Amino acid sequence: MNDDLQSRIDEAVRDPRNVGEMADADAVGTVGSADCGDMLRMWVKFREENGRKVIDKATFQSFGCQTAIAVASMATDLIRGKTADEALAMSGEDLSAPLGPLPPMKIHCAQLVEGALKDALKPGDTPPANPAPSATAPTLLDQLHGPKSVKITLQK
Amino acid sequence: MQELLQALPGAQRALFRLHHIGGCASCGFRPDETLAEVCARNDGLDPVRVLAEVEAACVEEAKMLIEPKDAAAALAADGSARLLDIRTREEFDAVHIPQAHHFTQDLMQTIMSDWPKDGLLIIVDHQGARSLDAASWFAGHGFTNVRALRGGIDAWSLEIDPNLPRYTVE
Repeated sequence: MNDDLQSRIDEAVRDPRNVGEMADADAVGTVGSADCGDMLRMWVKFREENGRKVIDKATFQSFGCQTAIAVASMATDLIRGKTADEALAMSGEDLSAPLGPLPPMKIHCAQLVEGALKDALKPGDTPPANPAPSATAPTLLDQLHGPKSVKITLQK
Repeated sequence: MQELLQALPGAQRALFRLHHIGGCASCGFRPDETLAEVCARNDGLDPVRVLAEVEAACVEEAKMLIEPKDAAAALAADGSARLLDIRTREEFDAVHIPQAHHFTQDLMQTIMSDWPKDGLLIIVDHQGARSLDAASWFAGHGFTNVRALRGGIDAWSLEIDPNLPRYTVE
């Protein structure tokens, strides 16, 4: 990953926009699983504007991936003022455009954001294709999180 | 990949540090995939070059470990050094190194956004079985000075602070 992209990601992650749960959201979408740490959830609130129902505000929570946080931070700004159909028409590439082109190994991070948005706006639809297989070997993140609970015995 | 991981136990850590492969479900791989297949769907990487990189990285990996005495000295000397404990809440509550931060999802957000990427970050687990994987995960996300405590808190109890009780896990 080039230094410019990394610095843009760092900047976005340092001060992410629109982070957090939205209590009065009209729609919520989630991809991934909080249990394994690879999760992104998005909340969307609509308003009426000139007879159209447009996105008033979107917020997100994400765990784990810096690039996904950076993309979500920018995407939640980008979709403001758009209708659900207009937002649904945006690809991961569109949503990550302010960061500049992502290297292929980071494209799945933008797809995570696209998936959460699609799940919020069109629940039940399949999130975008993910280049990684669905049944993966244990990942480093699995090891980082480890077991949820264990029983321990202190030695005398 | 399964055979590769058996031959080179550090291969997955190296793949993530170098190419962001195998870190989470989004960039993971199946045990029955070949390295060539994994490379093909990750920017068309050259599997021969990647294998050579992984072999070299596995040799270098020992440098990610930090001895308990060196960790204790670093924590005493460097006020910005951080100790991240990735064990369960039960283990942490029962026994922990005083300076340690217990790893949680909320803390992960803080680490990724606020903790300096070049500061010394020492990962501690129970006996060192998971800390290298965790350290590599952070290294793959740009942390340039991350180390895994060799032997975990168990070694710390034996070599640094005998007042910390050792324990077993069921």
